[in-house]
Amino acid sequence: MMKSSASIPIKQAALAFIVGVLVLVSLIGGFALHEMRNVSHNLTQSSQQAARAEFTSAVERLSGQIRKQATALGRWDETRQQLVISEYYNYWRDQRVYESGMLSRFARVALYDQSGNMLRSSVAINALPARLPVHVAPHLHVSWLSNEAGAITLYYAFPVYSDERRLALLGHGLIRLNYMAELLNQNSFRYTDTTSIKLNLKPGEILPASDLLPNLQLNARSDPEQLRFQTILSRALLALLILLAATALLGFVAHNRLLVRPLRLLSQDIDDMKQGRFEPKPEHAEPMRISELENIHRSLIDYQLQLRELHGSLEHQNREFRSQARHDVLTGCYNRRAYEEDWSRFREEIKTVPQGVAFLLFDCDRFKSINDTYGHAKGDRVLTLIADALVTALRANDRLYRLGGDEFAAILLRTTPAQARQIAQRCQSLLDAKRFSELDINEPISVSIGIAFCAADQVEHIDELPKRADIAMYTAKQPGRNRVALYGDDVERASQTLVASRETSAVFQALASPGMIEMHYQSIRSLPGLEVKYYEALARIRYHDTLILPAAFLPVVSSRRLETSFDLAVLQQVDLDLSSKQLPAGVGVCINLTAQSVSQPEIVSYLLELSRHNSRHPLMIEIAETSLITQVTEASTYLDLLRTSQYRIAMDDFGTGHSPLRYLVDLPVDVIKFDLSLISRLEADDRAAQVVTDFARMMISAGYSLTAEGVETEAALRKVESLGFAHVQGFLLDHPRPLADLVASLNAVTDPT
Amino acid sequence: MRLKLFCLLILFFPAAALANLVELKVRPGIQASADYRAGARGKPAVLLLHGFLQTREFRTVATLANSLHDAGYTVLAPTLSLNIPNRMQSLSCEAIHRHSMNEDIIEIARWVNWLKSHGHQHIVLFGHSFGSLQLLAYLDGKPDAAVKAYIGTSLIETRMATPSRPDLIAQLKNQVQRNQTTLVTQSVSLCPRYAAPPADLLSYAVWDQPRTLAAIKNAPVRMQLIMGDADKILGHGWLQALQHIQTPMIIVPGANHFMDAEHEFDLLEHTLGFLQTLPSAP
Repeated sequence: MMKSSASIPIKQAALAFIVGVLVLVSLIGGFALHEMRNVSHNLTQSSQQAARAEFTSAVERLSGQIRKQATALGRWDETRQQLVISEYYNYWRDQRVYESGMLSRFARVALYDQSGNMLRSSVAINALPARLPVHVAPHLHVSWLSNEAGAITLYYAFPVYSDERRLALLGHGLIRLNYMAELLNQNSFRYTDTTSIKLNLKPGEILPASDLLPNLQLNARSDPEQLRFQTILSRALLALLILLAATALLGFVAHNRLLVRPLRLLSQDIDDMKQGRFEPKPEHAEPMRISELENIHRSLIDYQLQLRELHGSLEHQNREFRSQARHDVLTGCYNRRAYEEDWSRFREEIKTVPQGVAFLLFDCDRFKSINDTYGHAKGDRVLTLIADALVTALRANDRLYRLGGDEFAAILLRTTPAQARQIAQRCQSLLDAKRFSELDINEPISVSIGIAFCAADQVEHIDELPKRADIAMYTAKQPGRNRVALYGDDVERASQTLVASRETSAVFQALASPGMIEMHYQSIRSLPGLEVKYYEALARIRYHDTLILPAAFLPVVSSRRLETSFDLAVLQQVDLDLSSKQLPAGVGVCINLTAQSVSQPEIVSYLLELSRHNSRHPLMIEIAETSLITQVTEASTYLDLLRTSQYRIAMDDFGTGHSPLRYLVDLPVDVIKFDLSLISRLEADDRAAQVVTDFARMMISAGYSLTAEGVETEAALRKVESLGFAHVQGFLLDHPRPLADLVASLNAVTDPT
Repeated sequence: MRLKLFCLLILFFPAAALANLVELKVRPGIQASADYRAGARGKPAVLLLHGFLQTREFRTVATLANSLHDAGYTVLAPTLSLNIPNRMQSLSCEAIHRHSMNEDIIEIARWVNWLKSHGHQHIVLFGHSFGSLQLLAYLDGKPDAAVKAYIGTSLIETRMATPSRPDLIAQLKNQVQRNQTTLVTQSVSLCPRYAAPPADLLSYAVWDQPRTLAAIKNAPVRMQLIMGDADKILGHGWLQALQHIQTPMIIVPGANHFMDAEHEFDLLEHTLGFLQTLPSAP
């Protein structure tokens, strides 16, 4: 499982988130507490200031009240009267001043004459001094505070004049009051803690009233609302923190139950899916509580099921495709791909577990002719019936492979040569029992079977089995054989197989190595002068100093479907010969091509390139009438194209094939080369000779130029000349020779010395 | 034009210069004051006396003083000291009333003398309410010859709420004889709680209706009473008593004790009317 090193489980993330939230809430709570304390401190300071302001206001108010009363008293007529007529002074002092409202009940007043002596009293009355203190200036209002037995007392002295103009001083008045008591009595302090009021004044000391406030100490009253507010806020904060902590805990638990567990389950399911261990839970499994997660879970299961189904379908389709890729569409047996894979695998197995192995190679005899004669559909049907018969004949575990065309193979494991031969015979028997006549095919259809065996103690030769089976198969195809040949049965068979093997090797080697194909040239002469008009280029393979003729290698080329490659090699060699310009100019060259090559683009392309030699050597293409032209339309088109490039088209080996008239009708043929089998009939004097004669004349009258092949006698020469043949060739005139020999002989003729 | 303005200034300057505060030492330690406004020489000087415990600032007196002065009369409006140095305020009923009718008469006499000393030989006494009674008491003694006439407005006797006035007087006399100086609290005129030494209280208490009517009857100068028929302060039957002794009296219909509002004009009109009947001052 791939995991990013930076990723963390959701549980830790949730835990970190909740811890973060708690820390954040704690910080906020701490900040709120700090702010609350600041606010409380500010409120305390404000309260202190308010208390001082309140008390200052009360002091000023009381002082103002005393000053106002003193002023009124000083101006009061009755006060002046007492200083003049003091007979009823006590009555005035104790009753009149209060009845008149000139003085508050809390205050006491005394009058002093100009000398400072109290009126009508030599002793202090009501704690008022008998004499005015010396510090009282005569014409000023003077006030002071005194600590009298712990009570702060205010004295207020004021002058009394005889008239409004204050010209004559009659005396003084002195007001005394228990200042603090009166202050507290008159005022209802809201902010000031009255119990905390303290004046730094020792008993007996006096203090100017103006210095009261600076020397006063007081505290603010504790605001119950503020305390209550702080208490409530603190409790609220504490409750909030507890609530948040509980909520975070519950949230964590809920998060685990609702998210973490389902996500972990989903993650586990996904891991199981990755490792292919996932099994959908039963339907009655408890669903996830979060609908989206449940949907994801169900979707995941559904997706997995669909994926599994799709995977199964793909596997099925793969098997189908693999099966189709390994089976031949026509016959239903295994194809060449399967053969290659199985053979490779078998070889390894056999090398590991030695056992007897037989390789059977089947090839349908004359299938090409059947195909050409009855068409592809019937040819395919023939192949199908052959495959059915062979599969039936093989053992249950044996496989039949179609290697290509009409060639089949089978690999028999754990077998013996006798068993292999027995199975081959059974194949032949089943094929013989097949009724091909139902396909309206009258010719007998047979299969040649080549068997190669490798014993368990000879596994080192296992790789040689296909080649040996091929040799054996060609041996089986030899006329007179019983169509089943086991490689290594006898010396004769072995030599034949060796030859066959040599030709096959020669063909493949020649195709791989340019130069091994050697062109021999045989003259084609005009009649009646026998002037050389063309040289027919005839291919030979030089293999280990041995010259292999077409009769030996053409079956290999045909059976291995190597026509195009071989013709291309021939054209390359002709091109080289012509490019050497050794042939005399003006003499044409005939090139033999298989019918299959004519419809191959690469051959046509090369011929067009080769047409550059037409100016020196008129070129003619010879197509064997015996070969199968399966794509007549394409071939006709290409031949028309080549004719425009000044190629002449010749029908070779005319008279040996199956559909000569059809080809003459459909293909743009210029020259018809009568085969040796027809020319030889001309020497006789029978109806066959007459037919050939009449046919030749008909061809000539149809505008075809006729060439007689295989003229070996003077009689034949005279005959064809009499019939109007335009050209003749054969051993009577010369044998095919290598270019060098031809050039040498030509040079000898032109230069007799 | 400038000359005319200068003449006017010269003409009115003496009157303006005489409109000042006059102080008078009426007894040791006691100074009294008066508002003196000089008028035309040919017209009598009017001594205006305020009512019970009031000052010359009392509206009825002050308004009339201005009007009389405006009419060209010399006006002296004193404030009785009531034994208070430079008394400027109305004296409260509950105050210690250390004054007597005799002292009031002395002060009136001193102000008459003051007028005389300032060249006023033709003096008319004008009193309001209890001031009319105090002036009448002055006339009942030995008034100065310069006093030519008397105008009593809303004249009231000394009213005392007591079941038996003679008993009260007798009691006060008894206390005086025994030198008792304890303040006596008694309802006097408009004061329900009037506190005064027995002697002082006695000096007012003796001026009851009979003595007042007798003083009117025996007044040595021309007399004119101006009374309001809506005066609720007057004692029951007081106006009838005055009419009974055939006192020259003008009763202003609708006027109350203080002759205020529109009756200020009635008061002024009747006062001027009376003054105009007097012979010109020398």
